[in-house]
Amino acid sequence: MYINRTLLLLLGVLVIFLPALADWLTGSPTAWYRPYQAWLVVVVAAWWNQRSRYPDEL
Amino acid sequence: MSFSLTQILFFIVAYLTALFAVAHLADRGILPRRITSHPAVYVLSLGVYAGAMASNGVMGLAFSNGYGYMLYYLGAVLLFILAPLLLLPLLRLCRVYQLASLADVLAFRFRSPWVGGAITVAMCLTLLPLLGLQIQAVSEAIHILGGPHGVENHGPHRHNQLALLFCLIITVFSILFGTRHRTTQQRNTGLVTAIAFESLVKLVALLTLMLAAIFQVFGGPAGLEQWLLANPEFSAQLQTPTSGNEARVLLLVFFAGAVCMPHLFHMAFAENTESRDLHTATWGLPLYLLLISLPVMPVTWAALSLGHGGSMEFSGLAVGMALHSTTISAAAFIAGLSAASATIIVTTLALANMCLNHLVLPFRLPQADPEQSLYSQLKWGRRTLIGVLILAGYGFYTSLSGGHSLTQLALVAFSGTLQFLPGVIATTYWRGANRAGLLAGLGGGLLVWVLTLLLPLTGEYDPLQLNALCANLSGIHDSPWAAATSVSFFVNVALFVLGSLLSPVSKAEQVAAEICSMDARTRPTRQTLPVPRASHFSERLAPALGASTATSEVNLALQELQFSPDEARPYALRRLRARIEANLAGLLGPAVAYRIIERCLPYQQGLHGETDDIHLIERNLDRAQRRFTGLAADLDNLRRHHRKTLDNLPIGVCSVGADGELLMWNRAMQDITGIPPDQVLGSLLSSTPMPWGDILHTFGEGSANTVLKTEVVVENGPSRWISLHKTVTGEGDGGDTIILVEDTTDYELLEAELLHNERLASIGRLAAGVAHEIGNPVTGIACLAQNLEYETDPDEIRHMAQDILNQTSRVTRIVESLMNFSHTGAGAGEVELAPANVADCVDEAVHLLTLDREAKPVRFSNQCDRELLVLADTQRLLQVFINLLGNARDACAEDGEVRINARAWDQEVQIDVEDTGCGIPPELQSQVFEPFFTTKDPGAGTGLGLALVYSIMEDMQGKVQLTSPVSDGPHPGTRVSLHLPRTSYGPAFQV
Repeated sequence: MYINRTLLLLLGVLVIFLPALADWLTGSPTAWYRPYQAWLVVVVAAWWNQRSRYPDEL
Repeated sequence: MSFSLTQILFFIVAYLTALFAVAHLADRGILPRRITSHPAVYVLSLGVYAGAMASNGVMGLAFSNGYGYMLYYLGAVLLFILAPLLLLPLLRLCRVYQLASLADVLAFRFRSPWVGGAITVAMCLTLLPLLGLQIQAVSEAIHILGGPHGVENHGPHRHNQLALLFCLIITVFSILFGTRHRTTQQRNTGLVTAIAFESLVKLVALLTLMLAAIFQVFGGPAGLEQWLLANPEFSAQLQTPTSGNEARVLLLVFFAGAVCMPHLFHMAFAENTESRDLHTATWGLPLYLLLISLPVMPVTWAALSLGHGGSMEFSGLAVGMALHSTTISAAAFIAGLSAASATIIVTTLALANMCLNHLVLPFRLPQADPEQSLYSQLKWGRRTLIGVLILAGYGFYTSLSGGHSLTQLALVAFSGTLQFLPGVIATTYWRGANRAGLLAGLGGGLLVWVLTLLLPLTGEYDPLQLNALCANLSGIHDSPWAAATSVSFFVNVALFVLGSLLSPVSKAEQVAAEICSMDARTRPTRQTLPVPRASHFSERLAPALGASTATSEVNLALQELQFSPDEARPYALRRLRARIEANLAGLLGPAVAYRIIERCLPYQQGLHGETDDIHLIERNLDRAQRRFTGLAADLDNLRRHHRKTLDNLPIGVCSVGADGELLMWNRAMQDITGIPPDQVLGSLLSSTPMPWGDILHTFGEGSANTVLKTEVVVENGPSRWISLHKTVTGEGDGGDTIILVEDTTDYELLEAELLHNERLASIGRLAAGVAHEIGNPVTGIACLAQNLEYETDPDEIRHMAQDILNQTSRVTRIVESLMNFSHTGAGAGEVELAPANVADCVDEAVHLLTLDREAKPVRFSNQCDRELLVLADTQRLLQVFINLLGNARDACAEDGEVRINARAWDQEVQIDVEDTGCGIPPELQSQVFEPFFTTKDPGAGTGLGLALVYSIMEDMQGKVQLTSPVSDGPHPGTRVSLHLPRTSYGPAFQV
């Protein structure tokens, strides 16, 4: 089974820092866009993870 | 501000027509291919996931659950970020086996038409709320836009006529969109481009709404912040905590929905076969969903700030109407319309394919109709089903009790699709799963779902007791929906596991599980087809598909594999069979395709059992090499190293399976035979081009493990000589035979040249004796001629003439002997076996040797039976005797004796040449047949005599043995025994 290590690392970090992340996300009544900032980080990580893929690995 | 119904309907038709135009332009290639095949288009087409729930429903969910609305997007985001776990294996399966829907995948994995049928029925049932949701979203939006009282007064009652109108319009467009291609596996570029366009329109419309909300309603981001500070109850509402249990269930159902819902499955797998695009989607779709979810809160707050008191799901329309802005209202309506229409079109298309493949075709295959091809019949069947499904969605919508929000409908639909998740995960991760378990789990889970979630939507049934039971069982007391979903999923998983553990897994399921398994590569086996060549496939398939369709499918598969109709290699035929099955799966569904192929092209029961298909395994490994890491990569490198070593060996190596299939053909084999590996690998050894097929097949089947020399006569080319060796790997009949082929042509030519040189050397040695021998009769003739000149007596003259004739006969015989010996013939290397008289041949050799006056005087005693015949080449046998008798003479002392005896057995004649010489020491006996080995003085011998004897005897299928000493005493002597086949003058030989 081929699970990407970067993804595993990202998931691990998310699990560990979830409480702190949740506090930060809901810390400000006006910064409603904070979850989207975290989401954007995930998107960038996903882009970083797939950019070295080979054209067809099926 | 309101619109007339005519205006709205015109707007809908215009929008859908524009959409259809985009599809048409893409299909016709008018839109550049670099656009339509761009990964961005694929990513945007996956935006079909964001249906009316995304354009409308989430605003209600955000109002009630705060940030919990993001779980709707995060389920899909999680699925795509973790694509290697679930999506890539599914894409691999769908691509290789032409599977276009979840029912296809599960029917393929569990090898049962019943599974496909059950999944299809269950999918139709679970998708009814989703179709109802889309219809409700559009019909309510039409009602709000066109109603006299606007958005505030739309009641809970249904707008059945508006909904029916919308359904009829969307049915026409769905049929136009979805059935342009004959099979579901042909990429429908038009559909993909149109759905991508819809996603783009949806995104632009929602972002327009967001900008309008922020800048027109709040006066900018700072205004929004101030408004939130001034209204803390709304920002607090945003942070309304969704309970942990409910949040997990929400994430689970949206995750499951993203992989199981047919519209996303169709766009992700049926319309795409490139892993490159899927990799782009791992970040592209999360980015798209991020952008499309951005407007949710600002638009909801804008509606609240404008005093909207109705359903928050139509906040966009409320903002537009409150601002009296046609543009904003239209943007809100377009967002909903595009989301709903895309979902309906793709969902019904995917469901129609599933129904056709799993509910219709398994029970009634279209009959071969001369006026209507199979493809045409299938297309009409699909069109009918699309209409039926949209009407079923409308029927469900009308049966709703009213008052249900879009979110409620969506959650029920997503809970239903959660029931397919165990099957999907088991497909790639649990080889022990079987169809009994799957059906039991699906049945149990769906029963709970229907009783607790679906039926209550109709308003005629209130499952209070069941809800309480579910709450107690799941421990979720604040959300009946989450409790019911948890229990249904638990029942599903429990029954699935129990059913699978308690019932056996069939052989077909095991094979399919192996194919689908993530942690075990497919181990294909070599099996034999009852069809000799590719062109015969059509005849076999014709009874099931009709002649024209069968021919068309076979030709398509041949074209895809780049095989010719004359292809006869078993390996190629197996690949062709698999490709046709895959293509038929795309056309008729995997269950029907499997049945047709098993019936028309069944594998023969192997005589040698099932053996690994080395070609396919190597092909899989070669294609997968870049994914190997660590030890697996080392093993693969080792495999490549060994393969390279075998390929580069200077000796030809070919490996043949127990079933006669060629498994290996290295580069040296190509050099020796002139046949490239691609031409023969996977074919039967006996079908290898002549003359190699015969030679290798005969040798492979024979008992001898070594043939030192065999001649290969090549058409339009010089003959070659090869030596063959073989060994069998493994035990019993199942082992492979490895044949080594060594090209000995150069060695043979050199040997022939040496033979010729040796003969010339012998002639040289004999020349002096010959000259002397001829000189005597010539002198006698000269004397007789001188006397004849003066002789007058007729009797004396006659007598002298007779003497002259006798002398010339003697000269002639001497010359003939020399000519015979020196004669090399046109083909120096050819051995012409024929009956040869041993005694005559010995006499000839003795005669030649006695011509050498300078040699030691020894006595040659020819004691051979005068009638004894051996099968030999007379010229070469003479050379053998010359060499042996010459050596014997040299070994003897003066006045020694060389005896030649011949003994006959049933099949063989043994000729012994025995001298009374000093014998050969034991330590030298093993070397005397080696070239250039001699014990004579320098210049006295070349060391080739006995080597040539050995070589000639091999050529004549004889043997030579050496015995020394022969007797005790001062002259122990040496005996050389020749063994040659015995023969006689029969009718086969013209004497």
